[in-house]
Amino acid sequence: MRTLRRGYLIDGSGNSDMDSRVSREIGHDEYDPWGTLSLIVVYFVALTLMWLFTYFVEFVGNTPTVMGMIVPVMLG
Amino acid sequence: MTALFVDEYPAEARLVKATFLSAFIAFGIGALFGIIQALHRTDIFRFIESAEYYTVLTGHGIFLVIAFTIFFLVGLYQWAVTDSLERGPVDIRLSWLWYGLMSLGSLLAAIAILAGFLEQPPMVLGSELRANVLFTFYAPLQANPLYYIGLALFFVGTWLAGIDWFRTWWAWRDENPGERIPLRTFMVLTTMIMWFLGSIGVIVSVLVFILPWSLEITESLNPLLTRTLFWFFGHMVVYFWLLPAYLLWYTVLPKLSGGRLFSDPLARVVFILFVLLSTPVGIHHQYMDPGIAEGFKFIAMTNTMFLLLPSLLTAFTVVASMEHGARQRGGEGRFNWLRALPWRNPAFTGMALAGLIFAFGGFTGIVNAGMNINYLVHNALWIPGHIHAQVGTATALTLMAGSYWLVPQLTGNRLVGRQAALFQVVLWFVGIVFMTNSMFRAGLVGVPRRTAEPQYQGFDYDVGVGSMGELNAQLALGGTLLFISAMLFLVLMLLTVFNNDSEPIVDGTLPPALSGPEDSPQVLDNLRLWFGIAFVLVVLAYALPLAGIAAQSGLFGQDIQPFPVSSEAVMYLEFGLDYVGALVT
Amino acid sequence: MRIHQYEKLWIVGAMILIVGFIVTITYGSVGLGITMIGDEEETVAPDELNDDEQFGEPRVEQVGENEYAAYVVAQMFIFQPDPIEIPANNEITFHVTSRDVIHGFYVPGTNINAMAIPGQVAELTVEFDEPGEHGLICHEYCGSAHHTMEGLIVVQPEDEFDLTELSAETSDTVSSGEEVQLNATVENGELEPLETTVDAEIGGQTFQQNITVDGNSTQDVTFTVESTQLGVGEHDWTVTVDDYEETGSVEVVSNETNETEGGEES
Repeated sequence: MRTLRRGYLIDGSGNSDMDSRVSREIGHDEYDPWGTLSLIVVYFVALTLMWLFTYFVEFVGNTPTVMGMIVPVMLG
Repeated sequence: MTALFVDEYPAEARLVKATFLSAFIAFGIGALFGIIQALHRTDIFRFIESAEYYTVLTGHGIFLVIAFTIFFLVGLYQWAVTDSLERGPVDIRLSWLWYGLMSLGSLLAAIAILAGFLEQPPMVLGSELRANVLFTFYAPLQANPLYYIGLALFFVGTWLAGIDWFRTWWAWRDENPGERIPLRTFMVLTTMIMWFLGSIGVIVSVLVFILPWSLEITESLNPLLTRTLFWFFGHMVVYFWLLPAYLLWYTVLPKLSGGRLFSDPLARVVFILFVLLSTPVGIHHQYMDPGIAEGFKFIAMTNTMFLLLPSLLTAFTVVASMEHGARQRGGEGRFNWLRALPWRNPAFTGMALAGLIFAFGGFTGIVNAGMNINYLVHNALWIPGHIHAQVGTATALTLMAGSYWLVPQLTGNRLVGRQAALFQVVLWFVGIVFMTNSMFRAGLVGVPRRTAEPQYQGFDYDVGVGSMGELNAQLALGGTLLFISAMLFLVLMLLTVFNNDSEPIVDGTLPPALSGPEDSPQVLDNLRLWFGIAFVLVVLAYALPLAGIAAQSGLFGQDIQPFPVSSEAVMYLEFGLDYVGALVT
Repeated sequence: MRIHQYEKLWIVGAMILIVGFIVTITYGSVGLGITMIGDEEETVAPDELNDDEQFGEPRVEQVGENEYAAYVVAQMFIFQPDPIEIPANNEITFHVTSRDVIHGFYVPGTNINAMAIPGQVAELTVEFDEPGEHGLICHEYCGSAHHTMEGLIVVQPEDEFDLTELSAETSDTVSSGEEVQLNATVENGELEPLETTVDAEIGGQTFQQNITVDGNSTQDVTFTVESTQLGVGEHDWTVTVDDYEETGSVEVVSNETNETEGGEES
């Protein structure tokens, strides 16, 4: 039978465990990672912009590019 | 105070320390080679011949991404299995055997590589002792058989390590029927399933084709086939480097942050996705290769894009776990909670900075994976930029940060120089920012990778923003900072090992996840199922391309001669007649 | 399985990104026509390249009205041909193979990027919009002098580009009284007929002939000069067609003696 063990002290008794001065416990049902959500939205936007720039400016602008020998249907 | 790992499991701690010792020795040599390269290719300081650069480069690759990463992985995983199952291996002699094989194998390969510095390498097994073939050893370049034998033994060692951990798990399962696999052991076992499946490619390539050819048992091979079999392995191996870092990010970083892992089930899902998708994407390393149809390249591309999913999920789960810790520590606000994290803790900061770099490096990986956009970056310096951000930082910096937390528990000694350790991880971060910034930008203007002298006669690079001089300076500066950081890390490790009259201040207990395994379906633990599906996906991705390549030129190619690579111009003379003839036309 | 609502949101977001990347790449392929190197080309035997129809003589040739083929061989540590001369604003299909180990075929500053694998032929079609010179390098480690492996692609203005070759010869010596025959051969590698002028100059005398060389064929022109008009001695000659020039010399020897020493010259 495994015992649940805490990984940190919650009564703030000094320097134990490398600075984990936990002041409150937050359980599963009280926790909504909205900070993470905000950061990940920023990341989503950053990825999108970097991708569009790298693909359409850096890549497509780096001509000549290897093309097919048959002119594609949608080009025009 | 809970017992330290070294006190609870002294025999296993000894084994883990041995693996870390091997890892750190390899790391030191690999780092030394790295600074030599950074100064040489930028033409800032050249004290070796450019022909020797390739010996250095082979060493840099093998010592860092084979020896350092994998020795550390087996040590970390041994700790993880022992600590999470709360028991040692079924027979620790098997454990020492696999460690011994890995050591012997890496030593043989190292000897073959380092012999490349000798003016007159000795004859071993029928040919000159040298291995200037780089980490990828593409035939028809040929190394001494000892190089391949060394690598093969190393791989056998890793396979035995995997078997050892499976045995441990089976023994634990007999005594704990019906229980979910503890998360760390789950990560170890899934990583090893992925390793077994993916390494088949390179093992076949070496044992069936390259090694017999190097021993002159066979007379030819098919270079595209052996190259494809390498990359069958070559993408999976980057996850072999990454998953130990993920293990630390998922199970230790939340605790360091003062919190708990946000979701155990999602961590399991992520590792299963890696089992399924790491191998069937290898062809994305061969987008520029003739002999492989565009259709197969497209499939590799879509598979790779889906392989983004486990890493994107990891970003959320790990950051959410860090946020949990920050808020438990009193952090508030939408972004302000970041300040409440334990930034003075080198183990925490190292991992956090590694994750930050990984998030950016991930973007560069999407570019690499993008089939046609790969034309922009293939074999350009952008690729090493990507490599150094990912394995060079996400993995290496996390492993160093993890060492600050784990080594005190393995030795029973307090970490020496906590401030210095914090400085060390930040220095690494700064070094990587400079060096990869240079590599990505230089790559975009067309500067190639894997070369001693990217300075050519007939043209200049069209640098656009900045200049070659500035790019070179940043690369050299970054490389220098990384080297200093690496040496500082090793010094701190050494001092800690000898810091005998001390007690660690770390505590190895890991809090339970906020959402535990009981919140996930049992099928996640059905390793056989995931292996089966992964196997089918590999067959689907590779059967036709491999069959096609073999059909084109035969399994053994058409009279493909070896090119033993010498550091001297002797090779010109050796093959002189053919070349003179060709040059004249 | 309990997944937090925010994480579910992110899973959707992640899938949108993934699909977005795939859609962009597919657009590049289907919409912009960017093609990957494939497996359409026949394999070759690396040790028999000299007998190969394409690679036995690495060269540029015209294969259609605005289409050219460049057969390129990569080997330690050069590219053949070097330089590779091609016209701007025409479709150039490179066929690239290796004579020995795996090499790269890379034009820094462009998306021209391929692998040269012994036994395989990489086929890639590109078009240069502007004349100019581009470095061609090997970007796959191929041996101790890998970093010296460099070639050049010269893109000429379309109206200046030709696949003309000129050769010319005479006998080394001609006896006085006989004719000196200066033979010029003009080869036209293009598909269109070549209308041009052959100029020759020998011993102060000049000649000119207008010729039309059909597509993919050669034409011979012979200029005749009386050796007595030139006089005894060595005479330089020059033949010029467009920007090509061949030079040589012919020696007119006196009839009175067949010996090379002594004797008097008339």
